[in-house]
Amino acid sequence: MKEIDLRRLVIKAFHMNDVKMGDACDVKMNGEFTVGKEIIPSLLEKYDTIQDIDINLIAPGDHDRFTNTIMDIVPISTKVLGKCGDGITHTITGVYVMLTGVDVDGEQAHEFGSSEGNLKEMLRLNKAGTPGDDDYIISFDILFKKGQGQERKGCIQGHAAADDFMQVYRNKLKKFDGSKCTERHEYHDTIRPGQKRVLIIRQVAGQGAMYDTWLFPDEPSGVEGGKSIIDMGNVPIMLTPNEYRDGAIRSMQ
Amino acid sequence: MGIGPSTKETSLHHFRDPLVEIVGSDAGIDLMGVLVFGTADDNVDKIRNSTMAAKIAECMRADGVIVSSDGWGNSDVDYVNCIQELGDRGIPMSGLNFSGSMAQFVTESEYIGKNIIDIAKNPEGVESNIVGENNMSPEDVKKALIQLKIKMREKEMKSE
Repeated sequence: MKEIDLRRLVIKAFHMNDVKMGDACDVKMNGEFTVGKEIIPSLLEKYDTIQDIDINLIAPGDHDRFTNTIMDIVPISTKVLGKCGDGITHTITGVYVMLTGVDVDGEQAHEFGSSEGNLKEMLRLNKAGTPGDDDYIISFDILFKKGQGQERKGCIQGHAAADDFMQVYRNKLKKFDGSKCTERHEYHDTIRPGQKRVLIIRQVAGQGAMYDTWLFPDEPSGVEGGKSIIDMGNVPIMLTPNEYRDGAIRSMQ
Repeated sequence: MGIGPSTKETSLHHFRDPLVEIVGSDAGIDLMGVLVFGTADDNVDKIRNSTMAAKIAECMRADGVIVSSDGWGNSDVDYVNCIQELGDRGIPMSGLNFSGSMAQFVTESEYIGKNIIDIAKNPEGVESNIVGENNMSPEDVKKALIQLKIKMREKEMKSE
């Protein structure tokens, strides 16, 4: 029997190959990406658990350096047309944001295990969830006020601050001409009549401050607008495969 | 990072997840959806939520289920209960989980057997705190899918 097409998601990737530090955050369709720090003062004003933030660029292979514990690695993606799992999403390849955190007393922002140390040793590259050999990493390093790296409020604010920073790029990425993308991926939610009906069940983090999962943020893999699975009682929530592929899940850990 | 940095799935992992990618692109599988539940803190919640996940699979008349977890230790309480509930309901299943040498299941189920693929990559089989090290790979997913297909076929043959 014929496959039934329920909806289509098109993810258009724009690869960045000229990545540098500069005066202001900027991203261009031709692969120029500038990492700026100008947003930091406004973030410090907005989030009362954060003492300071540092934003730095780590070039491919330049990993022989200290890192605080890695809270998340996030792709810069934005919704261009349609809802989560449907329509068009733009994403950046070649650059990923790495969120790290420690408090003023040197207490790492972690729960049961911590990944601070030499980045070269503490990050396994080329996995689905980590940058590749040739990728740039934007280090978004948060210095929490005393004890706040262990508190739910602090942890959420840390993620939210990185999200605000990324939104600057998303707003520019949204306006890119889709026909100029470097990669185009098309995904379909389908019904395949007569084939084996399979369900994927994923057990995810849901136990506390550094062990949380958020669902359905406004932007793919974002924070703003998302809902904590802890606040939903950790009960099972159904996603279509396309929603999953479209960044419906944010790892808050 | 939560329970074990080496098993944690980052937001980037979920965006490029090999499980949804491989199962979704298999022409012999009608992937119905992805059911996500959180690892609860409280034992009552752990059992209720993981049972509910298996119940939803039954209500959907799933021919098979693949269960994954991104934690270990007390996460096994929810995980193994989900597997037990699926097994008791006669639903063929396979799974992906980190065990290695240090994180053998803390609870038991007769349905674990060969059905659960160990995604440990660390040479000593330990939680190394290295981000990404003990994440599932495309090869792990392919193994889990093959195991599920075997289980679904076995059930079919029994009823023939």
